[in-house]
Amino acid sequence: MVADSSRSDAGTAAEPADDRLLEVENLQTVFHTERETIRAVDGISFGIAEGETLGLVGESGSGKSVTARSIMGLVDSPGELLPDSSIRFDGRELTGLSETQYESVRGGGVAMVFQDPLSTLNPVYTVGNQIEEALSLHRGLSGLEATEKAIELLEDVGIPDAARRVSEYPHEFSGGMRQRAVIAMALACDPDLLICDEPTTALDVTIQAQILELLADLQEEHGLSILFITHDMGVIAEVCDRVAVMYAGEVVEQAPVVELFENPRHPYTRGLLRSIPSTQRGADRLETIEGEVPTPNAPATDCRFAPRCPEAFDACREVHPEPVPVATETADADADHTAACLLYPEDETREQAVDRHAIEDAPPGAGAVDSGGESR
Amino acid sequence: MSVVDDEDATLRERLADEPVPALRVLAVVAVLVAVEFGALANLVMSLPWDAVGAALPGFLQGAAATIAGVGDGLAGLPTLLSRSVIDNAGYQLPSGEWVGTFMGLSPAAAWLLRVALIYAYGFVWLLVGWWSYLVYRDNYRHADWAPVDDMVGRFRNHSWGLFGLAIIFAFVVLAVFAPALGPTTVDANIADPYLHSIEYYSEETGGVEEIYVGDANGESQSRGQGGENVGPMQYDQYDRFHPFGTLPSGKDLFTFMAAGARVSLFIGVASLVLAGGAAVVFALATAYYKGLVDLGIVIASDSIQALPQLLVIMLASFVLSGTWLANLYNGGVVLALLFGLTGWPGLWRAVRGPALQVSEREWIDAAKSFGQRPSVTMRKHMLPYVVGYLLIYASLTLGGVIIGVAGLSFLGLGINAPTPEWGRAVSAGQPYVATPSWHISLLPGILIVIVVTGFNALGDGIRDAIDPQSDVETGQQDQTAAAGGGA
Amino acid sequence: MSRWSYFARRVLLMIPIVFFGTTITFVILRMGPIDPAAAVIGASGDTEAYTSVRRSLGLDQPLWLQYVDYLRDLFTLQFGYSWVVNRGRPVWELIGVYAPRTIWLGFWSVMLPLFVGLPLGFYAGLNPNTLSDYVASFGGIVWRAMPNFWLAVIFVAVLTQSEQLFGFQWESWLVETNIVTPPELQRLWVPENFFGAFKAILPAALVLGSASMGNEMRIGRTAVLETKNENYVETARAKGVPGRKIVYKHVFRNALIPLVPIITGEAFLLLGGSVLVETVFSINGLGYLFYAATINADLPLVGSLMFFFILLSVGINIVQDLLYTLIDPRVGYGGEGA
Repeated sequence: MVADSSRSDAGTAAEPADDRLLEVENLQTVFHTERETIRAVDGISFGIAEGETLGLVGESGSGKSVTARSIMGLVDSPGELLPDSSIRFDGRELTGLSETQYESVRGGGVAMVFQDPLSTLNPVYTVGNQIEEALSLHRGLSGLEATEKAIELLEDVGIPDAARRVSEYPHEFSGGMRQRAVIAMALACDPDLLICDEPTTALDVTIQAQILELLADLQEEHGLSILFITHDMGVIAEVCDRVAVMYAGEVVEQAPVVELFENPRHPYTRGLLRSIPSTQRGADRLETIEGEVPTPNAPATDCRFAPRCPEAFDACREVHPEPVPVATETADADADHTAACLLYPEDETREQAVDRHAIEDAPPGAGAVDSGGESR
Repeated sequence: MSVVDDEDATLRERLADEPVPALRVLAVVAVLVAVEFGALANLVMSLPWDAVGAALPGFLQGAAATIAGVGDGLAGLPTLLSRSVIDNAGYQLPSGEWVGTFMGLSPAAAWLLRVALIYAYGFVWLLVGWWSYLVYRDNYRHADWAPVDDMVGRFRNHSWGLFGLAIIFAFVVLAVFAPALGPTTVDANIADPYLHSIEYYSEETGGVEEIYVGDANGESQSRGQGGENVGPMQYDQYDRFHPFGTLPSGKDLFTFMAAGARVSLFIGVASLVLAGGAAVVFALATAYYKGLVDLGIVIASDSIQALPQLLVIMLASFVLSGTWLANLYNGGVVLALLFGLTGWPGLWRAVRGPALQVSEREWIDAAKSFGQRPSVTMRKHMLPYVVGYLLIYASLTLGGVIIGVAGLSFLGLGINAPTPEWGRAVSAGQPYVATPSWHISLLPGILIVIVVTGFNALGDGIRDAIDPQSDVETGQQDQTAAAGGGA
Repeated sequence: MSRWSYFARRVLLMIPIVFFGTTITFVILRMGPIDPAAAVIGASGDTEAYTSVRRSLGLDQPLWLQYVDYLRDLFTLQFGYSWVVNRGRPVWELIGVYAPRTIWLGFWSVMLPLFVGLPLGFYAGLNPNTLSDYVASFGGIVWRAMPNFWLAVIFVAVLTQSEQLFGFQWESWLVETNIVTPPELQRLWVPENFFGAFKAILPAALVLGSASMGNEMRIGRTAVLETKNENYVETARAKGVPGRKIVYKHVFRNALIPLVPIITGEAFLLLGGSVLVETVFSINGLGYLFYAATINADLPLVGSLMFFFILLSVGINIVQDLLYTLIDPRVGYGGEGA
């Protein structure tokens, strides 16, 4: 399941993993406004192996969608990727590609399913037309052949009476059907990686479950990798192999899904898990995390979660935490679990830990620090 | 528009609790009114009261006449920024000395000074208006925050809208202070030039002579070639200063334009009050009752819109010419009525959407459910929401009405000659566009363009202030609104 | 409700509109203070002539009967005769003479904005906040605020003096045309005639279309700007559709939807504007005919012309609904797009 299980220095993803389909490293996406520069995604790193599902979870405004759009090359002025960012897909560096070069990646390699199925389909063209557009671009199909393939794809995603529905307009579809059509459109591109940006948020709960099930089936069938973006921990538990928790443009914790749920280390992750109704059975009321996600507009010099963190101490406001391995004794040895919090590593004193974070943060691109710990 | 209920009594209480800021505002307003009391009375008297008078029963007409007499008397009171205080009429002696003008300034300088002072005075009013809003908001409004605060804030940052506001301000001051702004008066220069005379220094006789304005006008004509031209910012041979030059008849174009601005503004505002009132009432009624009421008004408004507006107004004003109605305010009242009657469907269409939207809100159902009377629900819960949208289209439509009125008077219809109207100046200058007398047609046209652009900009600004989520849907109605029936 | 039944319902709704519009005209003409018969015979005041005119206009009938007759005549397209402007000539004949010029003028004043204003607006929308965008936007705003009659006056003056002003003579440029005469509309299929007629109408069409051009530029710009940010455009990009195809397939067609009522609405506004423009350019078209009929009190002619205009406006409305129905599949579906 976890591709680079042999590596123990998974902390800052210093060395690229060749066997990963997608490798995102130090991705920084900023938006320039008149007054300030907003660092929507601020130096995140993660990877997705073939056939794996990575969940990207976080509150709204934490930078999840911008991450997805950065991978798709859909970040337009006034937004841009900072020069240090690296996105490698199938061994190919995507940052710096021209718009035309990117067109072959989009759809063909990476396809995307958006949140609101109503607005993602063009209202003036039939569903079939829009699927066939993708078919002609990525599989060179046209005419009757394309129509037949479109019908087949619609059947694949579980749309009944596909032959008739292929010539209907998006507004004639129900919400769940539309999302199925959008997924069919993404599959028409024959992608290796599917990015799902909150694909079930706009849907009813029962429909949600159907769509999740469909995605799982399709993944198995087509050997897809999936980057699954959501704010819903419940959905994460259901579909993901591994999870990255985002907060204010940064990945604060990354772990295999079971490990994360059983053994959350970052205070933010714990807060998130405590605010899920189902894990709180018996409790009188749900816990909430007070406050809102801040909008990062400068490089971090502190822990961005500190103002809301129940466990924050003085150093949290002065030192920016870096991801460190936090796998516990009880867990699988190669659990590949990191958290960016001054509380860790747990086996060190607080001062030692803080110093370690301070040093790792200091030189740009630093991160080749061994997990030894005595490097003062 | 405040969220919390602002009953009169509570506002009165709040005023009684803390009277100082309000009194301060009141004092400043009183001073402003006092220095210009005569001019304000003049403005009030210039409105078409005959329309009201004619509608009154006989025994009241006597009383009305008395009031009118008093009003005229008040209008004659001296005012600070008037022609008689800062006079620009005079003559120049061979020595170069000016006689009769304010402090011996040249007429151009005296006139410019007066214009500058009047605009400064108008600007002070604007500031006082803003200040009293602040005083009300900070001291007397029940709610700390109301949606209108955000709208005002957005508008203040909307430079295009502020640009429009500035132009409209200039236009309104021009219209309101028209009698004092012109270098001469409509009466003396345009309406009855042979009942007035001026003094000038004659080189032939070597002394000061007197001449009828009419005769002087004969010598100051602008007819293109042959030296017969008094252009913008020039003096004629009787030492009269013409900021915009003269008309082919020798009359002063600026005086003509200022008086025309007043006519345009009156027709525009009056027709919009009419059309806007009808539009709001219908919009609220259709949104509240829906169904048949809606269908009926849709058909009525579509029927009116199926008639080409300009042609109907042309026809109706012709049909009505010769009746008593057509003489009110030199035909202005008829035009206002006609623009109002043909204009409400456009405005109604514009506010119908917002009205329908608000009628779907829960608070309307809530109001209905506890048995509030429909008229109260509409007034208290729906009207504030609709009024903003009405303002947008009112601003755009006003520009259209100005163009439409000018177009009609260009054809010689609508406003009776010789009452000044911008379109008539364009028409008078038509043969001279490509001659040295180009100003006669061009200046009025450029003024129309500027004023209409100003109204459009103001409308855009209000729209962005009210509904920052922009506007393709709302943009649809603009075209008819701002087009003036295609004139 | 399907698209086409929606369309049918819209067409059906036109019937009461024609009916009420005609009624308004009747009220203005017959119930107003002007006696049509007196207006027809003018100041001569001959009682005998007056009575005979009254009888032939049907004015001696009770008002309701006049109304029924009036409606019946118009709805059966019996437009009657002109009484003053061109005494004794059937109105249809006059329309036959005057209408082609107005249609020619109207056609070009719809086409020019469509092929000049709209592309400019779309271009500005695709390249927002560039210099060309500002120029196009501001130009559109000012161009739209110019009164037609004033612009016409300026055009006529500038073109007649083009020799002195620009050193080239517009009248003899390429084809010999006059500036202030009706265009020659004979044998248009001969390229030379066609071009001559086009050149003759060009200034007037530019003037009459000025407001539309400014509007289409402005609204076209906003429509493209908004459409560009729609999610389906992002989806199209995400599936790798090339930029150019996104613009043509996914942006333009959707941006056209809000423009349909603008374009047709303006086509209708041209009728009113044609009076002024035709007067300045001396194009003896329908607008001018209506104006002449009005100031000469040829009320029967006025009534028939007004009915003709109502039919035109209703026709334009039907075209608009047809375009809507063709371009936007959501029309008539659950109230969306209606």
